[in-house]
Amino acid sequence: MTTRRSMLAGLGTAALLGGPARGAFAASTRLRMAWWGGRERADRTNRALEAFTRKHSDIAVAGESMGWSDYWPKLATQVVGRNAPDLIQMDYRYLFEYAVRDTLLPLDKYLSGPLKVGGWDPKFLDVGRTSDGKLYGVNFGANSPALVYSATALKELGLAPPTPDTTWGELAQLGEQVTRKANRTSYYGLCDSGMREPILEIFVRQKGKQLYTPEGKLGFGTDDIREWFALWDEMRKRGACVPADIQALYQNSIESSALSLGKAAMDCPHSNQLIGYQQLNQERLGLTMLPTIDAQAPPGQYLKPSQLLSVYARSRKPEAAVELLNFFVTDPEAGAILSIERGVPIDPAQRAVLKDGQDQKTKDLVEYIDLVAGRVGPLPPPPPKGAGEITLLLRRVNEQIGFGRMAVADGAKQFIAEAEDILSRG
Amino acid sequence: MLASLARPALAGARPRQPARRRWHGLAGYLFLLPWLIGFFGLTLGPAVASLILSFTHFDLITDPRWAGLANYRRIAFIDTKFWASLHVTFTYVLLSVPLKLAFALGVAMVLNKGMRGLTVYRAIFYLPSLLGGSVAIAVLWREIFSGSGLLNRLLALVGLHGPSWIADPDTAIYTLVVLGVWQFGSPMIIFLAGLRQIPQDLYEAASLDGASRRRQFFRITLPLLTPIIFFNAIVQVIDAFKAFTPAFIISDGGGGPINATLFYTLYLYQEAFGNFRMGYASALAWILVLIIGTFTAISFLSARYWVHYDE
Repeated sequence: MTTRRSMLAGLGTAALLGGPARGAFAASTRLRMAWWGGRERADRTNRALEAFTRKHSDIAVAGESMGWSDYWPKLATQVVGRNAPDLIQMDYRYLFEYAVRDTLLPLDKYLSGPLKVGGWDPKFLDVGRTSDGKLYGVNFGANSPALVYSATALKELGLAPPTPDTTWGELAQLGEQVTRKANRTSYYGLCDSGMREPILEIFVRQKGKQLYTPEGKLGFGTDDIREWFALWDEMRKRGACVPADIQALYQNSIESSALSLGKAAMDCPHSNQLIGYQQLNQERLGLTMLPTIDAQAPPGQYLKPSQLLSVYARSRKPEAAVELLNFFVTDPEAGAILSIERGVPIDPAQRAVLKDGQDQKTKDLVEYIDLVAGRVGPLPPPPPKGAGEITLLLRRVNEQIGFGRMAVADGAKQFIAEAEDILSRG
Repeated sequence: MLASLARPALAGARPRQPARRRWHGLAGYLFLLPWLIGFFGLTLGPAVASLILSFTHFDLITDPRWAGLANYRRIAFIDTKFWASLHVTFTYVLLSVPLKLAFALGVAMVLNKGMRGLTVYRAIFYLPSLLGGSVAIAVLWREIFSGSGLLNRLLALVGLHGPSWIADPDTAIYTLVVLGVWQFGSPMIIFLAGLRQIPQDLYEAASLDGASRRRQFFRITLPLLTPIIFFNAIVQVIDAFKAFTPAFIISDGGGGPINATLFYTLYLYQEAFGNFRMGYASALAWILVLIIGTFTAISFLSARYWVHYDE
């Protein structure tokens, strides 16, 4: 009973954050749009929706905003009930699952009409195509993990900030120096990113492996994951990163990161989160690429769509929905409102707006994505079913090692065994 | 009044109603209709559906595939997380229910002394029960029991250095037990009502005979309260098995650190809405039904040996 009540409370909050856009009752065409994300995203998206309805007085849009973990159950339920929103914010992870089940509208026929993304660099457009070549989702911003550091703290301690050429060993050393020189209780150089799947992926790609094969099997072995766990275990023991009982409080949110809580000087989130991190930090933040194994290593990072926008296959007003989609991904006004909160926009006109008028952090981020663009590897195949569960597994095993419940070698073996079991279940 | 709730209903033979009275019966059913629709449409229907789904693989988007007993076999023989979550849940039930009942009874006895402003105190003590299951309290709990939280700051005042209670896999579950015990309000109110029903002359007679307070408690209060204890225990055990929100909020749905707060319901939720294994989650749900049913049945069977009804 408590459960149901709290769930309803959660939905209520989501409805409040989403809120109907202006003119919801006067317009002849009504659309629904759903997205996941925090407060900042809800505000920006609602402002963009208002801008859209000012230009199209015949269309009204109701926004539905919720957290990541509520979003997917709700969307799946709505799809079963044939009642999904017209415009769906999609993740690269799920795009193909939804596309092959005919729940998303192929967008190719609109490319000559209202959807003006034909001029985009194909490498950014093709991430929304399935193997049969049809376009099911439009890239809603380029993104990549980043090493975010407190420039202020490093400067005060007289330490040089990390660069794209920094190695993992040097990063560990830097973390240790921060901890030593700062010499404050519960303050460390790094957050424990041993639990972060995107960073692990960079690490294995630098070793010439991949997280998952196109067939949906693990793309790396026990030795690789053992090295990974050992890397972070050593950092914990040297005091380069926070101990397990601080990292355990991290809740997959910017607010709960040890960097935001003033307990670490560096973290490894996604680059679009820089803005959110900066808002919670008095100190000036900088960002750079993740460390490398050595100078010859293949590039680990890649530019991923932070998310995509798709149209529901059963939408009653597909033209209007595509119109709105186009507004979000190409209109300069929308670009200025949304800024880089969803990653750096692909559309050249939107990018130009950001490079001109906006604050330093936005420019930093656009520059960062340009920097990464020159040093990236190919986009990996979409992760298989069960990949989400494996991110939880990674966190658990990293904790078991961090709390001293398990040796690194045993942790590596257990991780591989459980991950293979999860993938075999599908 | 409340004691009669816990007492088995007396099945008395009623005389046949005259035809005119049957219309009253119909009106009654009409008034019941909204509830009946809700019960059959929203409770019984889905329950039967979940029983059927528990024998399938079902990911919500594609149609269910028949799985036979595969889900149950995996739960029993392969699934280590199932056993881990059972362990966490049983720890929680076996610790929180007795502590909560003892605490509720203690407070009820203090309040029963007939002090001034009783209604105010009663309301204050009941408050946690209204708030306890909420998201806000779970968030507050994180702040109190984290490494630099309120509790450790208080401990620091007396020179103690506490661990990060919520983040430590050894102590995380106990913070949730404390949270559960803290919501002692509703059993307390029921105990209070029960205490009021015990005739005062029993105590007067006992003290005339020279029985100590302690002896009075064990020989008068406790035996006469057993129907209330029985009722409270059953309700609380069922509630404790179903606990979900605190663990969900405190561990961000992950059940961490290291599955230390992976309540059974949380694991069920993960499987259903995190991994979209509706069939598997349905099987887990039915096993929970069996577990709660078994506990309740044992309680009822044991009741005749320790519950006293003063008929």
